[in-house]
Amino acid sequence: MKAFDYPEIFDVAVIGGGHAGCEAALAAARLGARTLLLTQDLDTVAQMSCNPSIGGVGKGQLVRELDALGGEMAKVTDRAMLSCHMLNISRGPAVHSPRAQCDKKLYQFAMKHALERQGGLLLVQDEAAELLTRGGKVSGVLTARGTRYRAAAVILTAGTFLRGLIHIGLRSFPGGRYNHPPSSLLSKSLEGLGLRLGRLKTGTPMRLHARGIDFSKCEPQAPDSPALPLSHFTPAITRRLLPCWITRTNAKTAAVISAGLGGSPLYSGKISSAGPRYCPSIEDKIVKFPHHGAHHLFLEPEGFDTEEYYVNGLSTSLPEATQIDIVRSVAGLEKAELMRAGYAIEYDYCDPRALDYTLQSRAVPGLFLAGQVNGTTGYEEAAAQGLVAGVNAALKVRGEAPFILRRDEAYIGVMIDDLVSKGVDEPYRIFTSRAEYRLMLRQDNADLRLAGHGFRLGLLGPELAPVFERYRAAAAELAEKGKTKAVLPEEGPWTLAKARATAAVEKSYASYIKRNQADAERLKKFEHLEIPADFRYAHIKALSNEARQKLEVNRPLTLAQAARVPGVTPGEVQLLWVLLEKGSKNER
Amino acid sequence: MPLPDTDRTIVALATPPGTGALAIIRLSGPGAFSTAAAFTSPPQRAPAHRLVRMLDVRDGPRLIDRTVAVFFRAPASYTGQDTVEITCHGSPYIVRTLLNLAVRSGAVPAAPGEFTLRAFLNGKLDLAQAEAVGGLIASGTEAAHRAALAQVQGTMSARVRALKTAAVRLLAELEARLDDSYEETAPVAAAAFLRDTAALKKETLALAAGFEAGRGIREGIRVVITGAPNSGKSSLLNALLGYDRAIVSPEAGTTRDTLEVTLEIHGFSVIFTDTAGLNAAARGPLETEGIRRAAKAVSEADIILLLKDGSAPLTPSDKLARRRAGELAAPGAALIEILTKADLPAKVRAAAAIRTSCRTGAGLAAVRRILVEKQKKVFRDGAEAPVIFARHFEALGGAAAELGRLQDLMKKDRPKLELAAEHLRGALEALGAILGETAPEEVLADIFRNFCVGK
Repeated sequence: MKAFDYPEIFDVAVIGGGHAGCEAALAAARLGARTLLLTQDLDTVAQMSCNPSIGGVGKGQLVRELDALGGEMAKVTDRAMLSCHMLNISRGPAVHSPRAQCDKKLYQFAMKHALERQGGLLLVQDEAAELLTRGGKVSGVLTARGTRYRAAAVILTAGTFLRGLIHIGLRSFPGGRYNHPPSSLLSKSLEGLGLRLGRLKTGTPMRLHARGIDFSKCEPQAPDSPALPLSHFTPAITRRLLPCWITRTNAKTAAVISAGLGGSPLYSGKISSAGPRYCPSIEDKIVKFPHHGAHHLFLEPEGFDTEEYYVNGLSTSLPEATQIDIVRSVAGLEKAELMRAGYAIEYDYCDPRALDYTLQSRAVPGLFLAGQVNGTTGYEEAAAQGLVAGVNAALKVRGEAPFILRRDEAYIGVMIDDLVSKGVDEPYRIFTSRAEYRLMLRQDNADLRLAGHGFRLGLLGPELAPVFERYRAAAAELAEKGKTKAVLPEEGPWTLAKARATAAVEKSYASYIKRNQADAERLKKFEHLEIPADFRYAHIKALSNEARQKLEVNRPLTLAQAARVPGVTPGEVQLLWVLLEKGSKNER
Repeated sequence: MPLPDTDRTIVALATPPGTGALAIIRLSGPGAFSTAAAFTSPPQRAPAHRLVRMLDVRDGPRLIDRTVAVFFRAPASYTGQDTVEITCHGSPYIVRTLLNLAVRSGAVPAAPGEFTLRAFLNGKLDLAQAEAVGGLIASGTEAAHRAALAQVQGTMSARVRALKTAAVRLLAELEARLDDSYEETAPVAAAAFLRDTAALKKETLALAAGFEAGRGIREGIRVVITGAPNSGKSSLLNALLGYDRAIVSPEAGTTRDTLEVTLEIHGFSVIFTDTAGLNAAARGPLETEGIRRAAKAVSEADIILLLKDGSAPLTPSDKLARRRAGELAAPGAALIEILTKADLPAKVRAAAAIRTSCRTGAGLAAVRRILVEKQKKVFRDGAEAPVIFARHFEALGGAAAELGRLQDLMKKDRPKLELAAEHLRGALEALGAILGETAPEEVLADIFRNFCVGK
């Protein structure tokens, strides 16, 4: 088949229509870039392949940040919400995190519609087969059907599709998601461009039919009332929400699992890739914590118009026969019907240490990577990277300065810094414990931290900018003096009541935040001190062996990053500082 | 994060330790003037550039020294920052007290080469000079590595690491709850948590005390005078001291206790411990106690002056004194034999011994010279160590303070875990000055090892 050039030339081409791809395409198009979104299947755009929920501890903060930057995820979640809870409410406001269960189909369609309505964004159903380059730079994408899309920048958001391999018991077959073919051509193309690929593993639990669940034996988990929208821009959630249900495993469950471990691809050694420790399979939990009598299970509806239930807490790759026994050992699930089996999936990811802070490949200019392909896990982590990659691809094409968030500004900044400076050895999930400025990075002040960027970049419409500025001034005044004369609208994202609430939180943390800010301020100086890529640590005798080795491996980009490398002492940071300054003065 | 902070005020001895009658202590940083004003009078809070003043240094009501201070305003100083140079008398006691006062008033002990680093960063050095800076800090760091090797690489390092592990473990207790989306983990066991915190704080303070107990530069060297009864120990002490500090009497066994005095020779402080004679025929309980104390003093000494009456033949007590001194001497301590009463006819021969006479003053200069040389060596070897010790002491003290705040917080009803975590993070950051950064991944690893969290 002869390839043909698509008639138009794009600024940005996005490969993949998952959570990263959608945000990337929307962000790029909103910045005025002529954008293409290429996906294997337009009917599975923004598919929630695993759990039906958005948010969670740390993740909820990410979603609020994304929303404050003009991302789409929170708005779509509000449109598809079927249950919601503010998590960690018994703890302090810094770790309050929203989480919402969604109707999966509603979510997909709402996102697809948002993509379709976005000016300057073309959606195409085809599989990317090869990245095209010219002179070492990205020049476009060649599809499986033989179309060449020319683009100045390409954003790869391949999720778990690169050489995806699904395991159920000891059976395995290729797939990017159950019943969806993997992307087998692209990995070779990436390797050809010099990207380092590795393998990771993740998994998903089984789905059950509602009629096989005895809800009277489960404990209802009512949705919060009133339901709080995730988006700053959703006035209210008015539809009736559904409860989730709680049950727990027992000694019999543990016995079934122990007896069935022979059929486990994890314990038989068939899967050797690292899986996420915080999202363990049920067999992992039973093996590692044998003394835990019971593990909580949450039964979450997959939608308003479906009988399917997601069993949160029973992720497994044991054989299907064992899965049925496991489920039926649980109170309330004795007569459960398995509609879809749980499975594990192995896939290729690209080492994120090969990226810069804009998520652009350092080896292949113009190629950006976002989402699970960078070794992360979670819809929220993917979406946040998508937005950053989309914005930066558009800025690069326009020849403008990159958009980089710092660790003291956003969880997004924490995540990207972690990824590009430390890499991953298991799928990366955000945690509040990863944020050294946790008390500053809250869901209630995501807008104060980031909406300014949203307006400046053009991701948020200019009509709200004046209100936001008044809100920001009012919140600052309230935190400082306890009162304000500012006048704000009664409704909408930025009211006086919200400013008061945020100011109260800020005040309760004031002394701690002050210290955090001083630390952050000091750190800024060092963020600007770049370490040349060819910097040779081996020659610096005064470094300890441990520090030298770790710095050689991690190759920090800035002195601030070097200081974050475990085992590097202040004296050594100081020494590096002098050597760097000396190097730059020599050049001048 | 273990980052150098050029906004802190640093202090250090700017002259080589112990070489002259005068010493210069330099303070630099945005708070240099206010720090100096806190312990000098009359205080110069906003001095004119290049102001020179005679100032009293006081530790509370006590006058420590009369000094000359020179004030330099930024940027026209060596470092480019506000700087105070205080010229004081060169006694290690005075120098140490001044440094302590500066630290108590908010300065931090400077790391090797830190003044030069600031000068360099503020553009005060040209490129050729700057070339040397890296080497200076490198050698400082190397020397620091060497000086601290025994402490930091060995058992001390293991102990600091143990502190860190314990702190990480406590932090994981909190973070596991804070990051638990499903609130499945049982609440923190407050009593056990407080017990572990208290234990960690205690160990941190114990370790800090170890750093402070480092000897040499802070205290001067310990010299002990020992020997058989009536061998002239107290007379020698008095002669060196210049006044009658010890009771001298021709009756043997007069000095039943140890006497401790500080003597300054060439600007060095030497701590003399005159000991009760090691009497072979000791009987009474009082004398036995005196001998026990003498033995202890000998075992802690840097220099042992072993005295023998040169005008009398060798006695069993002399032999015992020599044997005991040899047995008790600490490794590295110098044993110097002295034959006293050189003005009387000699009854014993010992080529290596110094002959002294308190009556004529013969040999006293030789004893002083030996003491000065030994003191210099202690300073040389320990020149880098005190800096390391001071910084480690500060790091451990900072960690202990954070743990104290953690205790206060956790004793409250329904303590805020996210704030408790801030204090543990603070403690780990303080320890980071010794071990480097604690990565969040270390805490996460502990969580996953010990808690069944996640879905």
